[in-house]
Amino acid sequence: MVSKRVVQNLRKEFRQSGLAKLGLVLVVSIILVAVFAPFIAPHNPTTQELGQAQLPPLGFSETKEATTSEMVDGEVVTKTVEKRVEANAAHPLGTDGLGRDMLSRTVYGARTSLMVGVLGTVFAALVGVPIGLIAGYYGGKFDDGLMRFADVSLAFPSLVLAIALIGLWGRAAVVLPDPFVSAGLVSGMPSTFTLPGTVVIVVGLVNWVWFARIARGEALSLRDEEYVKAARALGASDSTILGSHMLPNAITPIIVLATVQVAAIILLESSLSFLGFSGTTLSWGFDIAQGRNYISSGQWWIATIPGLAIMWSVIGINLIGDWLRDALDPGIEGEGGV
Amino acid sequence: MALGRFAIKRTLQGIGVVWGVITVVFALRFVTPGSAINAVAPLDADQETRQAIAAELGLDQPLYLQYGQYLFDLIQGDLGFSYIRGQAVTPLVLSKIPATVELALAATFVAIVLSIPLGVLSATRRNQPVDYGATLFSLVGISTPNFWLGIMMILVLAVEFGIFNTSGRGVNAGDVLLSIVGPERFLDTLIGWLTYITLPAIALGTYFTALITRLTRSGMLEELGKPYIRATRAKGLPETLVQYKHALRNTLTPVITVLGLQLGTLIGGAVITEAVFTWPGLGTLIIRSINLRDWPLLQGSLIVIGISFVLVNILVDMIYAYLDPRVVYD
Amino acid sequence: MTEEILRVRNLTTRFFTEEGQINAVEHVDFDVRDGEVFGIVGESGSGKSVTALSIIDLVESPGRIVEGEVWYRNADLADEHRESHPDAVDGEFVDIRQLPEATRRWLRGPAFATIFQDPMSSLNPSITVGEQIAEAVEVQRRARANPRRTRSRTQGYGLSRFLLDSVLPSQHYVSEESHDHAVELLEQVGIPDPAERATEYPHQFSGGMLQRAMVAQALAGEPDVLIADEPTTALDVTIQAQILNLLSDLQQEEDMSVVLITHNLGVIARMCNRVGVMYAGEIVERGSLVDVFENPVHPYTQGLLGSIPDIEDPSPRLSPIEGNVPSLLDSQMGDRCYFADRCPKAMEVCLTPVAERDVQDESASTDGHRVRCVLADQPYNEADALAESYDWSTEVSADD
Repeated sequence: MVSKRVVQNLRKEFRQSGLAKLGLVLVVSIILVAVFAPFIAPHNPTTQELGQAQLPPLGFSETKEATTSEMVDGEVVTKTVEKRVEANAAHPLGTDGLGRDMLSRTVYGARTSLMVGVLGTVFAALVGVPIGLIAGYYGGKFDDGLMRFADVSLAFPSLVLAIALIGLWGRAAVVLPDPFVSAGLVSGMPSTFTLPGTVVIVVGLVNWVWFARIARGEALSLRDEEYVKAARALGASDSTILGSHMLPNAITPIIVLATVQVAAIILLESSLSFLGFSGTTLSWGFDIAQGRNYISSGQWWIATIPGLAIMWSVIGINLIGDWLRDALDPGIEGEGGV
Repeated sequence: MALGRFAIKRTLQGIGVVWGVITVVFALRFVTPGSAINAVAPLDADQETRQAIAAELGLDQPLYLQYGQYLFDLIQGDLGFSYIRGQAVTPLVLSKIPATVELALAATFVAIVLSIPLGVLSATRRNQPVDYGATLFSLVGISTPNFWLGIMMILVLAVEFGIFNTSGRGVNAGDVLLSIVGPERFLDTLIGWLTYITLPAIALGTYFTALITRLTRSGMLEELGKPYIRATRAKGLPETLVQYKHALRNTLTPVITVLGLQLGTLIGGAVITEAVFTWPGLGTLIIRSINLRDWPLLQGSLIVIGISFVLVNILVDMIYAYLDPRVVYD
Repeated sequence: MTEEILRVRNLTTRFFTEEGQINAVEHVDFDVRDGEVFGIVGESGSGKSVTALSIIDLVESPGRIVEGEVWYRNADLADEHRESHPDAVDGEFVDIRQLPEATRRWLRGPAFATIFQDPMSSLNPSITVGEQIAEAVEVQRRARANPRRTRSRTQGYGLSRFLLDSVLPSQHYVSEESHDHAVELLEQVGIPDPAERATEYPHQFSGGMLQRAMVAQALAGEPDVLIADEPTTALDVTIQAQILNLLSDLQQEEDMSVVLITHNLGVIARMCNRVGVMYAGEIVERGSLVDVFENPVHPYTQGLLGSIPDIEDPSPRLSPIEGNVPSLLDSQMGDRCYFADRCPKAMEVCLTPVAERDVQDESASTDGHRVRCVLADQPYNEADALAESYDWSTEVSADD
């Protein structure tokens, strides 16, 4: 399916590009973190320790002024005391407003983002690619209809559409057992993992059109290729042609699009979480929203750290996407996404 | 003139798309769990209200009649009634549009003014510091969630350094325009306006600046490699003329196409940016309407967004046609 | 004997690519005289196009002109630079390679104009033909108005000018007069309805029409030398004839010299006064049309001429030149005559570098007939011939 020349190109581009290597490092690291979250996180991300709330990250211990006022002999007396907030090595990245460990939350947040990102993209591709291929191959009314629908579909800003759909359909989530915990390999970690199902579906619905477009474009140009005509002349059925001939050759731009889409969906999911429209509270966007409330009072890390995690992942994916695009075919329509 | 005919053709297409948007929103009513009444009535409405609403919507009537009624209302500009707020939707939505438009325009302005020169410089001074800087910036820029960027900016510039306001839209562009009358007042108003709009505009505009820089750079590189560029140089044309009048002009056309496609992202981004900065625009309205289950308001907002999106797209197409006249002859 | 307008000496252009160094043009010498048509003929990959680009200094990286001089005869230019660049001036000739970049750019137009093979890819598809020709006119107008013969790279045009240009007529780079003159030029090349056609876009022109328009554009600067790189290759045969006629007429009208680059011997025979034959980046034979065509000395030239199908030839088979065009990769080129591996008359001496020399001919007086082959002054000696089985793969380049 993937020709040798393509593999060679990939290797060559990779060797030459420092950025591609960086991208691989970033992506692989975040995948490992997400998969092995129960092992990497020092604490259970959902455990609240109110006594340990709002601790700063290591190295950022600070002395704050706290003003207290109390009634003494019928008069209001205000005192300004200096309070020292000491970072705790048990919580290297600090804790959030409810005393939950930031590092653990960030680690588990990777799971949410990656799962939604990957599953959402897969869903969008599974819906979009066949539709696009069929539309491009057969043309005619179906193709016209699809294109017009694509126009309408893209007329709605994806975020707004996603919000609207989630608003209408709710935030159903699927609770999955965590395999490592169930196997008893790790203790003290949440035994289940919440996958925001509606979000995945909504995100896929909002993005399938991108895949359909690319697939349609490829089908249109491949339709007139000699080997397709030859296959038809030999009596191959349409589904065979679409599946065994066109699809493998259309795969390259689709893969490039897919990487762009994963990045875009991760951003979309974090936006949805931020607005409170996700089915899970263990996500980077949610923590940023939470952190926003603490900005004026000085606990900056709650909002900052998850954002850095998002950037880590998305930059890595974008670098991989660039590498793929440079290696596979510089003439691919690169930017498509939320 | 061919351009005029093209404009008419695009407008007609646009009307078709708007019709599609309207119909989809209509269909959304029937996709909500429970009956269509849930799409319109607040959750805590009592039986009597629900029945009144049902009658109002004509839910007992055949589908096509409902649809007809819906279209009829729309053409008159009636987007429904928000039971939760007790207000008609249309004036409410229209009143919020200026704020969102102001934000979107500011962000777009920032984006275009920064990114195109940056992209061109990056392409013409390839592998020099400008190029590396621009490439790095654009990579980070498209990978940064805009709401987080907004919060970070608030943290540093508004809370720490107190330069900008943390939220709201105290002074708007209209105020600035009006204040041109008196020079001292003008300066005050201008600065006031900037303290409110700068951070949201940058937060919203960063993604686009990065995106357009990237596209302009790669587009210019590709264009400068084409044979007609060499032939144009052979005429003795000054280099900047070759770069700007020829290469950039042809680079902008695909850039504009992508911009058109990304307008949706701009609006979506505006929604979030409004949430972060408490900017009183359409986005905040939409989020509130969802949280309060105010479906008529939501639907009305969606329709308005759809229509304005189509309008902007037509505008973008016209700019495209000006840059590349081949499109007009299709 | 007419004076030369252009003297190319030892021009060497190389491309430094990832795969290695490519010797595209190797020590090329030729002269172009006033008012004549000089043809450069060769197969694809022989270096003819790169030679043209080298003359007008449009070789782009990874290519570079490594050595050589391009002497252009222009008394005013010579006087101007006699003091500042003494090595670059020789009588009325100026070695433009040694001049500053701005001056070299200035020369594109009044000195050299170029037309390329495919007119459609020589024009910006989204700007009208008239506008683009007017650009060429405008460039010349401004150059003539500028006495210092140097121009800044930018001429004050940047992004802001570009934006204003698109909106305000007063900020246009191209003036009204230039537009009018462009229409006149279109008329001069025989395009009907020139005013109307000037407002059209390249894709609305047929190939032949567009090439005429390119000729018009080239004339804008009243050039001394018109360089035409395969001007008719992309056109239908009947249109080819038209374009060639146009070039002939114009050349005489304007008293221009033409450097005509092509692989088509028929075109050469029809148009050229003198011709140079290129092979593997070198000029292997040059001289007047009569000399080269009727008295070819170099076996390659003989092979070329012999391979033309002759309608009156009774034999059913064509006689091609055996073998393949050599690679121009430096590491694969030996230090010898590059044609030796395909040459039916190769001798031992051909394994050493061969310099260009005059052809010794007792019969008619030759007009500068020069050849890069030992057969110019010695007859072919079978005894010294290279064995058929000579193993060419044992070559190692001297400068590896």
